[in-house]
Amino acid sequence: MARAFLREKDHYVALLESTERTVLLGLMQQTRLLLSPEIEPTGDAFDDLVASMGLSLSAADQQTDSASLEDRDPALDRLLPTAHRGDHEIAAEFRRLTEEGLRQRKSGNLDVALACVDEAVGNRVVLDESQAPAFLMALTDVRLLLGERMGMRTEEDAEALHAAMDDIEDDDPLGYAMAWYDFLTWLQETLTHALMGTDLRDVVAAYDDDLDDDLDDDLDDDEGRRPDNTV
Amino acid sequence: MSPATLSLAPVEQEVTSTDEVVAPDVPWVTIVWNDPVNLMTYVTWVFETYFGYARPKAEKLMMDVHVKGRAVVSNGPRESMERDAEALQGYGLWATFEKDS
Repeated sequence: MARAFLREKDHYVALLESTERTVLLGLMQQTRLLLSPEIEPTGDAFDDLVASMGLSLSAADQQTDSASLEDRDPALDRLLPTAHRGDHEIAAEFRRLTEEGLRQRKSGNLDVALACVDEAVGNRVVLDESQAPAFLMALTDVRLLLGERMGMRTEEDAEALHAAMDDIEDDDPLGYAMAWYDFLTWLQETLTHALMGTDLRDVVAAYDDDLDDDLDDDLDDDEGRRPDNTV
Repeated sequence: MSPATLSLAPVEQEVTSTDEVVAPDVPWVTIVWNDPVNLMTYVTWVFETYFGYARPKAEKLMMDVHVKGRAVVSNGPRESMERDAEALQGYGLWATFEKDS
């Protein structure tokens, strides 16, 4: 049984069993593979800086037409989404300039997180102050990938998926994936709380008090006030 | 340049290339969109960490994303908004930039 991330002096510590660490490592490795930059971080600060400027010369990156994006893995569109809705040229230019750098940073975060899980002593996964943000971002990308693979693209998708879990067969892979998704959600939530020291219920209550009357009407029904935990 | 020196600079240089001056008074915005994966606490943490927003402002913006589906999280020149969008995408948020309308 896992224990959530808690602050211990200047470190953040979770207790994860062997199976949990193995699955976590596997999911992080898959995400890392999908996000792999064309130029892997070299350890040389200058080379990495140049690479991060998006100076890719590969043929694939010279194409800025939308056709070249059509055969991309759809999960990449969620991990590296379009940055301008409505102007494909601006979006393509932004992607050309930023994608390699984003892939490098996301891969770097996953490398930090992978090392932290891999180096667990006993069941203790220990993060220092600089590793904790990288771990949070890595968990986000893993959950984005897993969510995309399960078809979770809207709030309605997420609710439908959770509702479907009530009747799902024990050996359905979707149920297995959903269980691990929820586990990762819980893990990320506890680490964020440890970093921030927040109580989400207070945030929701305070916002509701500030809302205009018309919004209050919407939120006063049972569904609206339930503090689900995603944006 | 000293006033005693005869200037050889062509007068034409005073006229800067006007096509680069695109409505400098029209600010651009960075927008974060609602999605079913990102956690409310995490989004608040990102707004605090990246922008340095105080907790109440970060939470208000997060709740706007959650309830209204999107929120303008920063505004300014296009280059700054591109930088913000890129950084927020690095955090895994669904961020876009556009000219303010």
